[in-house]
Amino acid sequence: MADPADTRDAALLAPIERTGRGFYWTVGLLSLLILWGAVAYWTQFDEGLGVTGLHQPVSWGFYVTNFVFFIGISHAGTLISAILRLSKAEWRRPITRMAEVITVMVLFIGAGQILVDLGRPDRMMNIIRYGRYQSPLLWDATSISAYLTASMIYLYIPMIPDIAILRDRVRKRKLLYSVLAMGWTGSEHQQKVLNRAIAIMAVLVIPIAVSVHTVVSFVFSMTLQPMWRSTIFGPYFVVGAIFSGIAALIVAMLVFRKAYGLHGYLKPIHFRYLGQLLLVMSLLWFYFTFAEYLTAYYGNEPEEMHVFWAKFSGPFWPFFWGMAVTNFVIPVLCLVRLGRHTIGKVLTASLSVTVGMWLERFIIVVPTLSNPRLPFGEGIYFPTWVEWGELAGSFALFALFFVLFTKLFPVISIWEIREGREVGLKEVEERLLTYLPETAEPRHAEPERGW
Amino acid sequence: MRRLTSAPDRTVRALQWGIAAGTVLFIGAIILWITHLIRTAWRLGDVPSASIGISLVAIPVFLTVLGVGLYVFWGLLTDRSER
Repeated sequence: MADPADTRDAALLAPIERTGRGFYWTVGLLSLLILWGAVAYWTQFDEGLGVTGLHQPVSWGFYVTNFVFFIGISHAGTLISAILRLSKAEWRRPITRMAEVITVMVLFIGAGQILVDLGRPDRMMNIIRYGRYQSPLLWDATSISAYLTASMIYLYIPMIPDIAILRDRVRKRKLLYSVLAMGWTGSEHQQKVLNRAIAIMAVLVIPIAVSVHTVVSFVFSMTLQPMWRSTIFGPYFVVGAIFSGIAALIVAMLVFRKAYGLHGYLKPIHFRYLGQLLLVMSLLWFYFTFAEYLTAYYGNEPEEMHVFWAKFSGPFWPFFWGMAVTNFVIPVLCLVRLGRHTIGKVLTASLSVTVGMWLERFIIVVPTLSNPRLPFGEGIYFPTWVEWGELAGSFALFALFFVLFTKLFPVISIWEIREGREVGLKEVEERLLTYLPETAEPRHAEPERGW
Repeated sequence: MRRLTSAPDRTVRALQWGIAAGTVLFIGAIILWITHLIRTAWRLGDVPSASIGISLVAIPVFLTVLGVGLYVFWGLLTDRSER
């Protein structure tokens, strides 16, 4: 696979070998945000959930919104990476690593939101000791554990040849790279083992990823709450997850392209293809949203309509219409023609979708709780500085994890890029020939009978 | 496989097998936890069918992931051929 002496991809090793001033500024800024989050969490831990805007009837607010949002973004990774690998899309090579890293990082952050939401994290032990599988919350815990485990292995296995390159080339962290390289020599046997394992994991993670977000939707749709009980919530959540995942991946790619000068690897064509995928997902998201709201409107059930109008023209209208504009109007306008200014348009659309999908999660979670079916009385949710701090801290923690990862490991798979150069071109040509009909026509072909 | 003559080599190899063992422990602990929840549901007569139903899907997934991980660790660490 990869020859350690090959110096063509030095740009990919540069961030690991040298650390610039920008890195320290970034870490410093992110640490400040994380500190804000830590102070907020400590205040909540010390004084209880009363310092947040959570109360009856709105007991889920920013934390559960963040949970659904982060778990959704995790689909970027594994799902996109696995699908591109299985379909042998050659343009995947500089993308897959980033996608897989996003998955693992945000799963940790997403699962952490539940701990924050618990108020008393020691009560996590109750779930471990006395958890009841009748609760969709525990289905969630199980499926997220499976997804996290599978994603970590799916991230690690394709990294092994790159870690071996680091072991042989980089002077720092010799022990770490030697251990993680697992004795990789690039022998035929090792390549066979690695390729087989990657192929199995790519097949395995797709149903796991789909099931995880379906199960996340069950937390809502298994209840009898208005505008939550819906049979299409599973696919609706999966579509939203892939949608936000692609957007997050594009933003991450553009940030690291700029920061580490990876213009030669992440080219406009990659952003064009991902932009087209984002456009398709935007249209699909609109279709599901339309179907969901039309069904509720047509049913005209009083409790459902209460929530419906709260979103459309009631106290939640800025979030609802903001969601519609950022998830549909802006992306479609930006992505429908990608001939010129591709990168600017794709970045605008992706940032818009990232905001829009957070709003979508918020608009699913909060309005229903504000207008419950049971006669609790209505309530409005106003997050306090504690929740804003947790929100900022969570995003900063994700960014910090990602930045630290790029200082330890290549953010683009070196061996896959080299493999693309060395054998990919020939393979594509051979594969293309197998797709096409034979070019040599038989001289006296018999006329076809019947049709 | 290169002969592990020096102490650092042996340390590296021990740590690599340690990672493999850690993977087994981590996934094994999750499977044990799921089994514990089935046992608790069964003991309390608390709809054990739900627990068993979920576990029938979850445990094989974890075992498959563990199998792939071990296949890679074993395949790489016991490889005797050079490039």
